[in-house]
Amino acid sequence: MKQRDDWHLTGDIEHESGRGDPFAAAIRATRMPMVITDPRLPDNPIVFANEAFQNLTGYGREEIIGRNCRFLQGPETDEGAVATLREAIAGENAVQIDILNYRKDGSKFWNALYLSPTRGVDGDVQFFFASQLDVTDRIEAQRQITEQKEIVEVEVQKRTLALKEALQAKTLLLHEVDHRVKNNLTMIGSLLRLQSRQIGDPAISSKLDAMLERVDALATVHRRLYQSDDITRFDVGAFTANLVADVIGASGRTDIKVDADVEELEIPSSKASALGLIINELVTNAVKHAFANGRSGTLHVFARAIDGRAILRISDDGLGMPKADTLVDGLGRTLVARLSRQVGGTTSWHGATSGTTVTIDLPAGG
Amino acid sequence: MGRRHTPLRFLVVEDEALLAMDLGMMIEDAGHHVVAEAGCLREVQGLDVGIAPDVAFVDLHLAEGSSGLDVCAHIKQNWGDAIIVFVTANPRKLRVDHPGAHGVIAKPFSRNGIMSALRYITEGICDPPPSASTPPDFTAFPALAATWKD
Ligand SMILES: Cc1cc2nc3c(=O)[nH]c(=O)nc-3n(C[C@H](O)[C@H](O)[C@H](O)COP(=O)(O)O)c2cc1C
Ligand SMILES: Nc1ncnc2c1ncn2[C@@H]1O[C@H](COP(=O)(O)OP(=O)(O)OP(=O)(O)O)[C@@H](O)[C@H]1O
Ligand SMILES: [Mg+2]
Repeated sequence: MKQRDDWHLTGDIEHESGRGDPFAAAIRATRMPMVITDPRLPDNPIVFANEAFQNLTGYGREEIIGRNCRFLQGPETDEGAVATLREAIAGENAVQIDILNYRKDGSKFWNALYLSPTRGVDGDVQFFFASQLDVTDRIEAQRQITEQKEIVEVEVQKRTLALKEALQAKTLLLHEVDHRVKNNLTMIGSLLRLQSRQIGDPAISSKLDAMLERVDALATVHRRLYQSDDITRFDVGAFTANLVADVIGASGRTDIKVDADVEELEIPSSKASALGLIINELVTNAVKHAFANGRSGTLHVFARAIDGRAILRISDDGLGMPKADTLVDGLGRTLVARLSRQVGGTTSWHGATSGTTVTIDLPAGG
Repeated sequence: MGRRHTPLRFLVVEDEALLAMDLGMMIEDAGHHVVAEAGCLREVQGLDVGIAPDVAFVDLHLAEGSSGLDVCAHIKQNWGDAIIVFVTANPRKLRVDHPGAHGVIAKPFSRNGIMSALRYITEGICDPPPSASTPPDFTAFPALAATWKD
């Protein structure tokens, strides 16, 4: 079978015919490998193949013309890709696929094949046209990337596992340290309590009791931290509710009602001890001063995150703060002032005859 | 189990001397009696059966490598009416349905925490059910509420 040059001369293509046809010349000369097949001949054989196609495959024109293109396929060609081509051709659709082909010398190359039917004016398929591009480099690069990615992924997995193990060891150590701190805090509290009952002087003994409550507040902070799942955050809302219930409960002051409006309020655990002490001072002050001499009343507790700020409020409807000129600051108010500054917050006291309100405002984050 | 009256009889099982003393004194401050103290299982086993404690405070990790859980079993067997409350730094190691256990107080404890718990337990034993809600430092197990029914 001879190469046909008449494929472009069919009556349907309305342009100048003959050897000088610029389209035919272009297709012959382009560096893009191209073939044309005739589906009306048995087994849809190649009727035209340009120079570039011959260079790509290593076959001479006589070896190409008259054969079905599947002669480029070989043992490692993907069956699925061949099936895709078969279906597209049967359905007279254009198709684009990367397929493994073989040259005459047996060497493999990746063929980025694009083929499409060419229809006459009557709508019937007259030819199939295809271009073949050697994309071996691209596919190879892709394969390498995939391989590298797999290696990296395995490596990442290994590292993650190692880090997880390290974290586990660290958590274990942390829990051990925590455990000891906790035991020491319990002992310090017990020591102070034992000493306190030896002291005859009620003034000194009451100071020692106040100190004891501070140690106990720290112990409570520590216990809550240790029991929480995330040791980097501290729920100061729950802590406040806890402390208020403890202090009022243990005082036996059933005449002091508690009205708690607390939500989960997380702060960094580095600020937990300071805030624990602050709240302890405010609550014990209320019991000691606002509701002194058996005066009954309600202690309002409020804790909420508002616009990224942690807002804590302890207010009583007790006796109210003494006038400025008679107010003598004890350790309590001094601690509150210093510690709120330490945690980057502010404390405002609002004293009225109707009671005292103290508001702590600090950044909830880092 | 007949209704009991204050002062209640307490057994304190704690190997840390300071804590045992401290707990003992808070119990006395609350108006009760400590009828015996022990630091390990062996000492508990050596106690006179006649002490008949109403409440036992039991640490989990005890001297001589003994366990509060074994102490709990011993108490349950010898003084079946005793309310057993664990006082431990590892409250999470306990199951709420551990046989014989009625609740747990977490360490480090505070005076306020212990006093509220004592108040609650006392009311639960002498005049159930307790008027106040469960104090925050005390976790009551279902077995405790079960004793209020009879
Ligand atoms: C115009 C045209 C060009 C084609 N070019 C190639 C090609 O370069 N490489 C290839 O493996 N298959 C090519 N094919 C597909 C095969 O010729 C054949 O259609 C495919 O293998 C599916 O049919 P089969 O299952 O009968 O082999 C081409 C098909 C047509 C119509
Ligand atoms: N909630 C309150 N209601 C009424 N007065 C209060 C209240 N809080 C504080 N005060 C007054 O402010 C004073 C200073 O309080 P501060 O906490 O600094 O010291 P203190 O409680 O007297 O002693 P310390 O806290 O050192 O044991 C108190 O003596 C009391 O007169
Ligand atoms: Mg004070």
